[in-house]
Amino acid sequence: MARKLRTAISVMAVGVGVALFLVLVGLTSMLHEIADRTVNVEADLLVWPASEQVLVSGGLPAEKVERDLESVADLEAMPVLRGQMKMAGRVQNVYGIRPEDWRHFRGSVIEGRALAGGDEMVVDSRLAEAGGYSVGQIIERWDRKFTIVGIVREGVAGRVFMPIDTVGECLQQKGRASFFYVRLKDLSRIAEVKTRIAEKGLNVFTKDEFYEVLASSFVDMNLVIGAVVFVAGFVCFLVILLTVYTMVIERTREIGILRGIGASRTQVFGLILAEAGLICAGGILVGFLLTWGGTALVLRLQPLWTVDIPAIRFLYAALLAAGGTLLGALHPALRAARQDPVESLRYE
Amino acid sequence: MAPILETRGLTKTYNSGGVSTPALRGIDLVVERGEFVSIMGPSGCGKSTLLYLAGLLDTPTGGSVIVTGADAGRLSDGRRTRLRREHIGFVFQRFNLLPTISAEENVALALTLRGRPVGDAPHRMLAAVGLEEKRRRLPSQLSVGEQQRVAIARALVTQPALLLADEPTGNLDSEASDRVLDLVTGFHRDLGQTVVLITHNEQVAARGSRTLRMRDGRILTQ
Repeated sequence: MARKLRTAISVMAVGVGVALFLVLVGLTSMLHEIADRTVNVEADLLVWPASEQVLVSGGLPAEKVERDLESVADLEAMPVLRGQMKMAGRVQNVYGIRPEDWRHFRGSVIEGRALAGGDEMVVDSRLAEAGGYSVGQIIERWDRKFTIVGIVREGVAGRVFMPIDTVGECLQQKGRASFFYVRLKDLSRIAEVKTRIAEKGLNVFTKDEFYEVLASSFVDMNLVIGAVVFVAGFVCFLVILLTVYTMVIERTREIGILRGIGASRTQVFGLILAEAGLICAGGILVGFLLTWGGTALVLRLQPLWTVDIPAIRFLYAALLAAGGTLLGALHPALRAARQDPVESLRYE
Repeated sequence: MAPILETRGLTKTYNSGGVSTPALRGIDLVVERGEFVSIMGPSGCGKSTLLYLAGLLDTPTGGSVIVTGADAGRLSDGRRTRLRREHIGFVFQRFNLLPTISAEENVALALTLRGRPVGDAPHRMLAAVGLEEKRRRLPSQLSVGEQQRVAIARALVTQPALLLADEPTGNLDSEASDRVLDLVTGFHRDLGQTVVLITHNEQVAARGSRTLRMRDGRILTQ
């Protein structure tokens, strides 16, 4: 009974290590998902104000900057004014855009229609589901009443879209833009255009560069993941070490019997490792189930969070547990293999 | 043909806490193929130590153990294990069955560890020792006499040329003891197996073709 309980606890501990790794790694996908959405617009460049412009004025003068940009090359500039609004229990970035730019936001409307102007908003499908929003619903925010006119498939820019003029009025930022998406007519000139925009004192990024800028801010998160990986692996190692060590001591006599009836040291070593491997395999299975349950729980409690775990991560988690198991079982297995069979047979 | 077992100047000294305790003080022994040798002597005289050394379960302090012409002291641990597997079967006084598997699985284990096909050999062997009906029982569900018969089946299922038995009847009543000895004697007679058996009992020893008497780590008479 004690052995079964210990084995069950060991399997569970390995499982928790595996699930901890997978769920936390899955949660970090949320950061990448935000970065993906930001660059998933039909545009070639992103133009941001230099930091001092933000500090002084809170954004860019939209018309002036648009003219400046159009003077550089044959391009289409799409201003975005960002605001924040609490919806579905969380603060959401509101993308104020010109209704005529909607076509470049790749947002396929799945219900209702696109923005036309005035006090309208479009929400994405994820937010609609999380907040229970529907087309025609009136939302009161910023001391105004907005009508949800459409629901768009998630995955592009923000979760809430409104006409840029409306956002400007509400935030007393009329005529200003937080940043611009820029579409070039001639992509072969992208390097030259970038240089010329930069000469105007603006920060300019290709989509890849901007993604990198966002991703670099995840460095700290990667350190956290690294720490979690270490802890999860160490937990597996310690649990297996203690379990297998106890098992070897408990079975000293049985090991002696095996040696007495013909088992070689290699066979004893293999048997101990195989038993540890079974605990590990059970732990991995339990870990995958806990991951499934944990992910479902997280999404139930926080429907707007993203927990995306690529299949390869499951393989990494299994390898992590297997590595911890191997390291943990190695010493007790060697000890078992080196046991003196005569001493072991005398062991009580 | 070389003797199946030979020891030359065999010594074994146990060291514990700075104290040396000699268990064997130079044993010269030759066991020919097909012999049934009984070893007698008082407790602590080195009988079991001699058997463990002869069974290649332990290593001597001095001297050599030669099994089927191969000097075990010159072999690697792996080759010594192989030599033991191929030629030696062991029966222990305390049976030493694995408690969590059935009688049949205990017998099959001896074959599995040698990488041999199991087939119905364990079944046949248990039938030969009169335990066919109880082959699926755990050792704890068998009497001590039955457990020893399972241990004998396990030792013999691999058809070893040399059977070493360390007081196999020491824990048995006289009826169970006779049954076990009948089995060992029968296998010796029918299959020509060499048997080296330790006992305290003169009647048991009398079943052998030769009796060695030991005292203080030495063989007194052969």
